[in-house]
Amino acid sequence: MSFGRPPSINVGFKTSPPDRGSFPLDHDGECKDQMMQYMDCLRKNSSTSTPCRVMSKQYLDCRMTKGLMERDEWKNLGLANLEGDSASVLAQQS
Amino acid sequence: MLSRVMTTKSRPTTPLNGSSRPPPYASRQSVYASRNRNLLMYSSAVIVFAVGVTYAAVPLYRMFCAATGFAGTPNVGTGRFEPTRLVPVEGARRIKVHFNADRAEALPWTFTPQQKFVTVLPGETSLAFYKAKNESPRDIIGIATYNVTPDRIAPYFSKVECFCFEEQKLLAGEEVDMPLLFFIDKDILDDPACRGIDDVVLSYTFFRARRNAQGHLEPDASDKDVQKSLGFGDYEMAPRAEIRNAQPGKSP
Repeated sequence: MSFGRPPSINVGFKTSPPDRGSFPLDHDGECKDQMMQYMDCLRKNSSTSTPCRVMSKQYLDCRMTKGLMERDEWKNLGLANLEGDSASVLAQQS
Repeated sequence: MLSRVMTTKSRPTTPLNGSSRPPPYASRQSVYASRNRNLLMYSSAVIVFAVGVTYAAVPLYRMFCAATGFAGTPNVGTGRFEPTRLVPVEGARRIKVHFNADRAEALPWTFTPQQKFVTVLPGETSLAFYKAKNESPRDIIGIATYNVTPDRIAPYFSKVECFCFEEQKLLAGEEVDMPLLFFIDKDILDDPACRGIDDVVLSYTFFRARRNAQGHLEPDASDKDVQKSLGFGDYEMAPRAEIRNAQPGKSP
């Protein structure tokens, strides 16, 4: 198959890999607390994602701190300018 | 042919008045010579130009398609994950993403989603978790594939980071949480075919991993099962080249 060929029916069927690849496995459960907080938030908000985005930001922040994820700017992950997001909340939880 | 024309000498004498005008009756050969030269120059130029255009056509076509989106050229690469695309569309309808987990029978793991569904806005990056536990007494490397239904949402469903397509090694008896960061592109709001979509099912299947002839890890299952996990179970698939060439005269 040639790279960059005009799209055809086969190109449309390919599943595309994720942008950043794969999360490294959290074998030691280092970020499990943040994960449980996120899951609790989801349960309380009937699985709506918007109120819990701060928690997901904290979870990803924990991953970045513990070296389980490449550190990157929040805007590249779509988590910049969240409501209810403050430095004190982040520092408190991580 | 040209040299022959040049060597014959039957030019008339130079005029006495010393003007530099060519003599009125230039020889036929020299006229033909200059015409042939012209023709050769023009032909070579046309040939070189045509060859150049055929070489340039491929990149030019790609550039044209990428710029105009002609024939549905998709917007792949970092363009899809630019920060401006990762902003939730406030006030748009919410889409419910259901999570499904499967595993191959040969894999002694328990693999379950930690939430049944999440309702998301288009353009909003959301986190979801799966849990996997290795029930066997040995370390096992697994590899996951995924697929999204309905098919029409597949171009808009993008994963920023996940746990699929790469090997995941679980030690014996280990349980681990696997996160997944995804979003639904906001262009779905402009697509009339996707107008009625409110529910999406994201389905992951874990297989045991094995190394293929090139040394890459791939799912240790029949091609049919892997394609089914990718959502192509209803499509007839031609056998892969490795299988075709390895067993001549036999169909897999």
